[in-house]
Amino acid sequence: MRLLLASLSILLLGLATAPAQDREDIVLTGGPALRFMEHGKGDVSHDVYWFNFVDASTIRLKELKDQAKPDEIVTWLIYRPSYAARSREMDLDLLAQLQQKANALGVRLVFFDNKAQLIAYLDRGFDRDKVKIADFDYFGHSNKACFLFDYSNTIDTMSIAWLHVKDLRLIDSDIFARDAVCKSWGCHSGEMYSKWWKNRFDVPMIGAIGKTDFAHGGLPQLSNSDGKWAD
Amino acid sequence: MHTVFLRALGVLIALVMVSTVVRADDDTVYKAPAGQAPPVAPPLRKGSPLDHLANDPKQNAPTVGYREGNTQGNVYWIGHRLIDPVGGQGWGWLRKPDQRWGNARWIALQESPGLAVAPHRKLVKADMDLNWEYKFWGRFATYKAYDPRLDEQLPVFILQGYEVIGAAAPLNIKVGPSDRIDHLPSGASSRDNRPILSDPGVD
Repeated sequence: MRLLLASLSILLLGLATAPAQDREDIVLTGGPALRFMEHGKGDVSHDVYWFNFVDASTIRLKELKDQAKPDEIVTWLIYRPSYAARSREMDLDLLAQLQQKANALGVRLVFFDNKAQLIAYLDRGFDRDKVKIADFDYFGHSNKACFLFDYSNTIDTMSIAWLHVKDLRLIDSDIFARDAVCKSWGCHSGEMYSKWWKNRFDVPMIGAIGKTDFAHGGLPQLSNSDGKWAD
Repeated sequence: MHTVFLRALGVLIALVMVSTVVRADDDTVYKAPAGQAPPVAPPLRKGSPLDHLANDPKQNAPTVGYREGNTQGNVYWIGHRLIDPVGGQGWGWLRKPDQRWGNARWIALQESPGLAVAPHRKLVKADMDLNWEYKFWGRFATYKAYDPRLDEQLPVFILQGYEVIGAAAPLNIKVGPSDRIDHLPSGASSRDNRPILSDPGVD
């Protein structure tokens, strides 16, 4: 009985002294196409507005900040090269604007330039034994098998930076909290990506069956009348 | 005392004005209003690659002998243009001058706007140089391109210059990257041996 009480005391003491910041919310944002690449494509021309993914991300980040405890970490991961290229195309400093937005929201901004950097952050951005990812949102181009951080920015209609379902095995499987909430706001993720995500991390990821539409402002909506969210 | 008060008031007014100016600057950063469509891109910069693409006159066929970009080096490749019949976004085949077409590689073409862009950018339609051949200057990238329509990866050639050779006979060789026909459906594959055909459909 004494042993049981002692063990219980140690457990309670451990809980009381556990680090306050043991959860991190992450919003992952892909980049826009170049207008040069998308010129002349009519209705299927992507990313006429350069901050379509960013605006949606900031809405979600604000929601997370409002819900988070004061000491909870909220991190914004952005694929930098596409915004740098679009900046050059438009003669605007979009990277500075992204920093301003992050500052205004009070979130940590982490740029990444390639898949390896992204995976390194997810695995080791914090000690994942202590700080688990509690919320994950993706805003960007995608098909059912892939998050496309770069799309039609370096090569017309193609990507040079992506996270394929087959790449999920490169990420540590225990980085998420057991009650983590994950959602891809991109197109088609619910048709394949969600299943592979669940298999790898043992947490569900909500994804779209069909396309999503970022053109209305606000959080993306399902484009197809028969579209739905699934996990 | 009165003077000190007036000076303090002046400083306060100045600070308010400065903060107003800063806020006005912040307002130049677009914030999409909820529920409303965001704006379109700013006007074209005169002389930019996009300006040329949008406003230069288009041709019905390439001009034989036309050169663009850096075309001085002795090392070049021969390119044969083809539109992928199953919807892939590859540009066509590329081989070294001393190679046979059977050794050619199906490539993704990375353009260098401002230096050299895909020859079909000058044409009325992108398929108007079907089966035309070119000399290409540039290099292969260390990375690959992912084609989201077919869920496959292609070698990337970074174009730095080209010369139009002329129209050629169609080639009877395999279209697509080398593993296209070797791919076997395993059930674990994202492609399951058929095109994904889910072009990212956002905005």
